[in-house]
Amino acid sequence: MVSPIILIAVPLGLAFLTTLLGLLSEKLPKYIPAVAMAFNLVVSIRLLPHALQAPIVAKTVGLSPPFSIHLVAGPLGMMLSVLISLVGLVIAAYAIGYMGREARSRYHALYLLLLTGATGVVLTGDLFNLFVFFEILCISSYALVGYRGDKPGIESAAKYLIQGAVGSSLALVGIGFLYGLFGTLSMADIARNITSVSPMAVFISMAFLVTGFGVEAAVFPLNAWLPDAHSSAPSSISAILSGIAIKAGIYAVARVVFTVYGADAILVFVAVVGLVTLLVGEMSAFRQKNIKRLLAYSSIGQMGLIVFALGLASARGVEGALFLVVSHAFAKALLFLSTGYMIYRTGSMEISSLHGMGRRMPVSSLCFTIAAFSLIGLPPFIGFPGKFMIISAALAKADTLFTVLIAIALFGTVVEGAYFFRIVQGLYFKAVPEDAGANLGEDVEAPLSALVPICVLAVAIVAVGVCPYVLTRYLGAAAADLLDRAAYIRHVLGV
Amino acid sequence: MRTVVSLMLIAIVAAGIIVSLSQAPVGAEAARQEGRLKQDDVNFGRYYNNRALEETGAANVVASVVVSYRGLDTLGEVAVLFIAALGVATLLRTKQERKPKGEVEQASLIVFTGCRFLFPLILLFAAYIFAHGHLTPGGGFQGGAVTASGFVLIYLGCRGRAVGAKQLSATESLSGLVFVITGLVGLALGGSFLLNFLPRGTTYALFSAGVIPIIYIAIGLKVSSELGGIVGTLAGEGE
Amino acid sequence: MSFLENYIHYLGSFGLILIGLYVVLVKSNLVKVIIGINLIDTGVNLFLISVGYIRMGTAPIFSRATTTAEGMVDPVPQALVLTAIVIGVSVLGLALSVAIRLYGHYGTLDLRKIRDLKW
Repeated sequence: MVSPIILIAVPLGLAFLTTLLGLLSEKLPKYIPAVAMAFNLVVSIRLLPHALQAPIVAKTVGLSPPFSIHLVAGPLGMMLSVLISLVGLVIAAYAIGYMGREARSRYHALYLLLLTGATGVVLTGDLFNLFVFFEILCISSYALVGYRGDKPGIESAAKYLIQGAVGSSLALVGIGFLYGLFGTLSMADIARNITSVSPMAVFISMAFLVTGFGVEAAVFPLNAWLPDAHSSAPSSISAILSGIAIKAGIYAVARVVFTVYGADAILVFVAVVGLVTLLVGEMSAFRQKNIKRLLAYSSIGQMGLIVFALGLASARGVEGALFLVVSHAFAKALLFLSTGYMIYRTGSMEISSLHGMGRRMPVSSLCFTIAAFSLIGLPPFIGFPGKFMIISAALAKADTLFTVLIAIALFGTVVEGAYFFRIVQGLYFKAVPEDAGANLGEDVEAPLSALVPICVLAVAIVAVGVCPYVLTRYLGAAAADLLDRAAYIRHVLGV
Repeated sequence: MRTVVSLMLIAIVAAGIIVSLSQAPVGAEAARQEGRLKQDDVNFGRYYNNRALEETGAANVVASVVVSYRGLDTLGEVAVLFIAALGVATLLRTKQERKPKGEVEQASLIVFTGCRFLFPLILLFAAYIFAHGHLTPGGGFQGGAVTASGFVLIYLGCRGRAVGAKQLSATESLSGLVFVITGLVGLALGGSFLLNFLPRGTTYALFSAGVIPIIYIAIGLKVSSELGGIVGTLAGEGE
Repeated sequence: MSFLENYIHYLGSFGLILIGLYVVLVKSNLVKVIIGINLIDTGVNLFLISVGYIRMGTAPIFSRATTTAEGMVDPVPQALVLTAIVIGVSVLGLALSVAIRLYGHYGTLDLRKIRDLKW
């Protein structure tokens, strides 16, 4: 059994290698992210059965926790690592063709470092290490959002950078408070000692940490950067940001709140914040005319739903949240990837220019429709079991407050269905606009290098939707990983 | 309006901080006054202070913490600097309007000669800092910063001379690879990443403390080339 | 007096953090906001270092003069601050490059005027 540390070390080494190869050859660097992510996928899948029995605690420097930094690859961490490598692989394959000559070795190195940061966030067991990998994720995304250097890209990068930098500094203050109280940085060690001080002492550090990590997780009111950043970035970057980066932020917040603090009292507040985020996201998306901004607001809305489900704090709620994480990653990545070429062909991001695409780009439109229906939650796609689990978990709480909240959440889903149906109707049933874009040539459909990754995601959405057991059998252990603090501490520290 | 809201927010944050600081003792000094510092627990670094000399052989405990005990953090930090160098080069790549050679106003003779004279001395000092990182205060990052200040001196004082961007890029990639490979060798030989697999040596000697000098030299070269690259790109000398 | 003695470091560092936060929230010039971010970073680093301080402690370096570990300050925050300073410098470098490009596109650094991407 290999150590999970190679899931981080090998892509990091390959990222350093990418710029070196970029000096020697023009064509090699674009294959390296795909190779690295394929390696990660294989290793994660091999390690997943081991992680399900007991979390793999990987030491560094030959010392056991808490004397050295350690990775805790539990069921949740390995499941998310599989997700990150799968989605990363698909988008890397897409980017080989989509970015073309525009992307030199720097793009690929930055992309691979973003994924390394995300993998490090979900696998680590040390609080400051979480912060460092989180920073790797954030800073590479600042650079990638502004990659094209055009006016909207640079403006979005500026706003994202300012908010992200302030958030990270606040998170560091929270970490400093925790270290000042307990003298140790290992999350399990802090979790063990946290009951020895009064709650008021740790409340402010929790507020700082949640605010800091919450900027990346895009919870209301810290999500002002997201619509700009996700809509102005190149399409493959929008896909990885919406698909993976904000999930890593949610994981960091969840790990801190559930495992380190064990805060059960604030979870109602968390659920309400999630609901507000959902409403803000969906209602803003309804009014958008720009397709990528619409998708970005929809991401905010779905993140709100995930946070709401985490706030339910029951095993079923957390399982539903995790299922939704996976289904949203697939669906949102597919949406961004399929619209990438549509935008490129028509030269505009307006929804009205997408009318009639059903005839001109049939495969892309079909995949877009599959992803949209999955996001709304229609069977037989992957979105349906996730939303069903969340609704049944909320109803099972048998609390009038939660029934009211779930009714509001359903209203948000209806709004979401409305605007997605409007787009799909435009794709298939409206006529091609008069001023069709200048890039339309003989073959209008996206090239094969883009179609293969898109179809892989679409097939995955349908396959897991039809047979959700493939995913749900891991969810029980993953939810327990998050909710059961005593078991976590026992596995890491042996007490 | 915005000022008022911001001031209220800051007042709330300050109140929260004051409440939190007064509830429980924060910091190593407070823990010592309460008698909570146990020798063999991680508790505020007591373990590292007491055991670092025998376990890693480095006289500088901070060096052994940075490279050995918390080496994964350092790897991440080196990656962050790498991302910054890439990001700066990416964002400023089309901004170059280099003035033709004849129009660049040269510095006076004294400044020019002085800079040329000082530059190798600065590089020597930086190399001393990062080679002796495990013995004296210093290390890779500090040495790298000193090298970068040497580069700034050249860009300001000897206009028109530049350090090759390609060589810097190659140096930074290679040194990063050395760091990762050292960690992986530790994984292969001993089962843990970044295991200190070379002999401890005699204390206070230059070649002691296992892999720590090697990693520090790699970090020093990497940080020098990255900061030099960032400074160079901002000064307009990039590609 | 004892309160001030014990907590002077924290007062200083949190003062810097709050001043930096004020600058980021209120000022509209991009370079001033970047300076504010730097102030916050400096304050946070100062806070982390002061957590590890022991009264009359020495640097955690062994030499012919210092051969015992008694009275050494905590080495871990020093390592943390090393990392945090480097991360802060990286963000500063990126922020300044973004500011240069932004000025090239818009001709101004006033954040109130840089609002092309509206609702």
